[in-house]
Amino acid sequence: MNKGQKVPVLVIGAGIAGIEASLLLANSGRNVYLVERTSYIGGNVIKFEEVFPNMDCATCMVAPKQQELLANENIKLLMLSQVEAISGSFGDFSVKIKKRARYVDLENCIGCSACFDPCPVEVDNEFEEGLSKRKAIYIPCAGALPNVPAIDTENCLRFKGQECQACQEACIFEAVDFTQQDEELELKVEAIVVATGFKSFDLSKTTQYGYKKFSDVYSAMEIERICASNGPTQGQIFLQSGESPKSVAIIHCVGREEKGYCSSICCMASLKLSHFFKKKLPEVKITQFYSDLCIPGKAYQKFYEEVKESKVDFIRARVTEVSQSGKELAIKYKTEDGKESTLTVDMVILNPALEPRADSAKLAELLNIPQDKDGFFSEKEPDLTSVATIQEGIFIAGCAQGPKDIAETVAEAEAAAGAILSLSR
Amino acid sequence: MAKRIGVYVCECGTNIAEKVDIDQVIAAISPLKNVEVIERYKLLCSEDGKEFLKQSIEEHGLTHVVVAACSPKQHEVTFMNVCEQAGLNPQLFQLANIREQCAWVTPNAEEATDKAIRQTRAAISRVLYHDPLEKKEVEVSPDVLVIGGGIAGIKASQLLAAPDRKVYLIEKTSSLGGKVKSFSKLFINMESGFNLIEQELQSLVENENIEVLTESEVEQILGFLGNFEVKVVKKAEDKELNFNVGAVILATGFDLFDPKGLPQYGYGKLDDVYTSLEFEEMNIPDGPTNGKILLKSGRPPESVAIIHCVGREEKDYCSKVCCLYSLKFTSMLKSQLPSAKVSHFYSDLCVPGKSYQKFYEDTKELGVEFVRSAKTEVIGSGKGITIKYETETGAKGDLAVDMVILLTAMESSSDARKFAEMLNIPLDDKGFFVEEHQLLSPVASAAEGVFVIGCAQGPQSIAESIVQSEAAAGKILSALIPGRKLELEARVSEISESFCLGCQTCVDVCPYGAITFDETRRVSVVNEVLCHGCGNCAAACPSGAAKLKHFTFPQIYQELKEVLR
Repeated sequence: MNKGQKVPVLVIGAGIAGIEASLLLANSGRNVYLVERTSYIGGNVIKFEEVFPNMDCATCMVAPKQQELLANENIKLLMLSQVEAISGSFGDFSVKIKKRARYVDLENCIGCSACFDPCPVEVDNEFEEGLSKRKAIYIPCAGALPNVPAIDTENCLRFKGQECQACQEACIFEAVDFTQQDEELELKVEAIVVATGFKSFDLSKTTQYGYKKFSDVYSAMEIERICASNGPTQGQIFLQSGESPKSVAIIHCVGREEKGYCSSICCMASLKLSHFFKKKLPEVKITQFYSDLCIPGKAYQKFYEEVKESKVDFIRARVTEVSQSGKELAIKYKTEDGKESTLTVDMVILNPALEPRADSAKLAELLNIPQDKDGFFSEKEPDLTSVATIQEGIFIAGCAQGPKDIAETVAEAEAAAGAILSLSR
Repeated sequence: MAKRIGVYVCECGTNIAEKVDIDQVIAAISPLKNVEVIERYKLLCSEDGKEFLKQSIEEHGLTHVVVAACSPKQHEVTFMNVCEQAGLNPQLFQLANIREQCAWVTPNAEEATDKAIRQTRAAISRVLYHDPLEKKEVEVSPDVLVIGGGIAGIKASQLLAAPDRKVYLIEKTSSLGGKVKSFSKLFINMESGFNLIEQELQSLVENENIEVLTESEVEQILGFLGNFEVKVVKKAEDKELNFNVGAVILATGFDLFDPKGLPQYGYGKLDDVYTSLEFEEMNIPDGPTNGKILLKSGRPPESVAIIHCVGREEKDYCSKVCCLYSLKFTSMLKSQLPSAKVSHFYSDLCVPGKSYQKFYEDTKELGVEFVRSAKTEVIGSGKGITIKYETETGAKGDLAVDMVILLTAMESSSDARKFAEMLNIPLDDKGFFVEEHQLLSPVASAAEGVFVIGCAQGPQSIAESIVQSEAAAGKILSALIPGRKLELEARVSEISESFCLGCQTCVDVCPYGAITFDETRRVSVVNEVLCHGCGNCAAACPSGAAKLKHFTFPQIYQELKEVLR
């Protein structure tokens, strides 16, 4: 790292917000510790095949930033790591980090994937929403960065007391290293950027839509992965029967009533899914069930109009129930004038609300910053800026603060970096 | 000097060696001219491998190096650094990709080996034509020009100004504060916009590193990142100021759509139809009505209609904040006139984010009617006003009211075009400044060193505008460090003065505004600070005058010749 006189900055979360904030800080000459919970960088954005409104390929778009991050000597990337304790104040925070062992050497591994096949363990791949399997030594998806696997100690036989070393034997680079140990790090940092992202609303809480009950009811994130060329089906869309869907319903605002807020990006995300389906299956009939169309800003209305022109139906209604009707799914809905109707389709996609991550309460406590009733980190002055918290030197960026799109997330990351660089002169 | 090329073939463990017959590759390239040494190595990118490479370069006194290994994305920089450590100009190096482009993708071993031979020969052939390009550095100014004295410009100035960084804040009107100073309340905490601006101005005055120039117009900006020359005219004093800055922030704000062009809303014809800004002004304590909400007749309204999305269809975008400030208006109306009947006519309620739905629900509890209307008209009836509306299902209704507030679309500021032309940056089809990348670079413009923030870039809330101020400050504080020089890309374009015909095709195709036309010499000139080495000019130039360093015609020809032979 740079022998700067200044104390480093801590960035928590290596999604798009954490990456952008780290790069700006590092390029200014500051040292940065970037702490990431998982074994890869890129967060949720790299799960998307394409992103609205210009349908940029998300992984291609983010890859140069990821490469720049991995090559930047001012950034110390701590993966498989979590913040355990924080004390002190602006200019002089002490942070305790628990860094779990990866058991694969980042320097020696060349990412050839020879270790995957011999591993006898198969488990659901959480990155793929459980739609495909992975081994106990794995990278989450093709193209993930860094291109170095990690060993999942919950499932690896060796960590269950068995004598397996299949992966180690398969690696000719001696990169698999069972002697690695979990570490505890004590860091001194000047300021902190919290960019821990979001998760989707738990669809098991809304039983009326038949999620996990009927096989052709999907969450939007599952469909994102199914549409992804590096996903479980290499981008092919099938029903459980193996046929292509002929009719699809996309239900907006799932969980909005329960959460009590609008998740801001779901209307656009739903339009994007329609666009994917129309591109892959031009004859498919798509119906969107929505209450209010929220497509704010200069760029989104045009995308809506393009999707509408591709013959997508929009029904303003409340879906009351999804049920099985023969081979199809029946959607019961009620329009604003009180009329009830039913539509049958092959496939249903539920677009759920965004929520803060489950562990954000613990982090809020460590940081001593408040959360709102839903668990999003609270900013100090909501009417003025979304990045400053009540603790001087602690900033929040991206969906950990509230649901928002990629542009707003990146702007907040840059804003947090700007606020820190401005404060610490 | 004799050319002495070293060729190093990496086995990449078994990744290359398993598919590519490296002995055959070595046999095929051994007879080539200028090849001084050929070595194979198990894993060149390892620490041992790099040390081996360095020693070998030194030992054989090599003038050029070719490594046949993986993708340049993976290790080009790694091996260029080794060359540099061995005292060789790193540009005199070429990487042949025989892993991703051969071993990993070509199932047949013979074909893979043949491809690897071609790739390696191509690299050898090319590297002889490489020039030892040197990296250049330029001095930069850390100072910043901020155009527009609204809340976005004020905040950006405060964040940037420091003893080693001066900020010039230019405002065309006589006072700072933009539109926010006329907002008596800000959503959602209903604090005074006027007071906010007063506080900000106080700290602005105290900051000696900010030079505020009101009633001033920017006449000219020439230059590029790190080195802009600015000419400003102080209109009142008729005085011209010239200074240099390293970056420019455009915070020129927005205008409101003029509803006079839409006769169905009765604006300008009916007495008590107001735009949202006019309603804001009515609520300022020392405004024309001393902060009282009054009809033209002087009495307070008993019923008010708030009409959403005025001009949305014409502008073809959602202005993002109107639903939110309509709730603010409701709250202002209800706190001053608790018994007034307030009705919203809207199509879709857009209250994105974690806080606004609650704001909506709290407002609704004050006793407000929300009417979803697909078509809304404002018609004069006697002394009063009637709202005629039609729901999405075609049901019609009407409502008599005293006062109408039109939530008019936000549009780009009338100044936007002037600055777009001055700085050679694009506007979108709606007239807003375009970001460098809509998602990944939301506050930078296509011109490096020029930033676009706040509503000049698109409709947004005050908080979002301030976030963009902070973001632009972040980008500038990260890139322009007082005392630090800017390191330039070595692989940039150059235009031969003797071959240039002056057709200016290159000027049109350059996406970075890096090429200008020298009128006196009648030739195009590349600015190396702005050039990113994309090669558009070299491809488009009809006379062959434009060339991209490190991707010259002879270099590419030599490479292709060997791949295709």
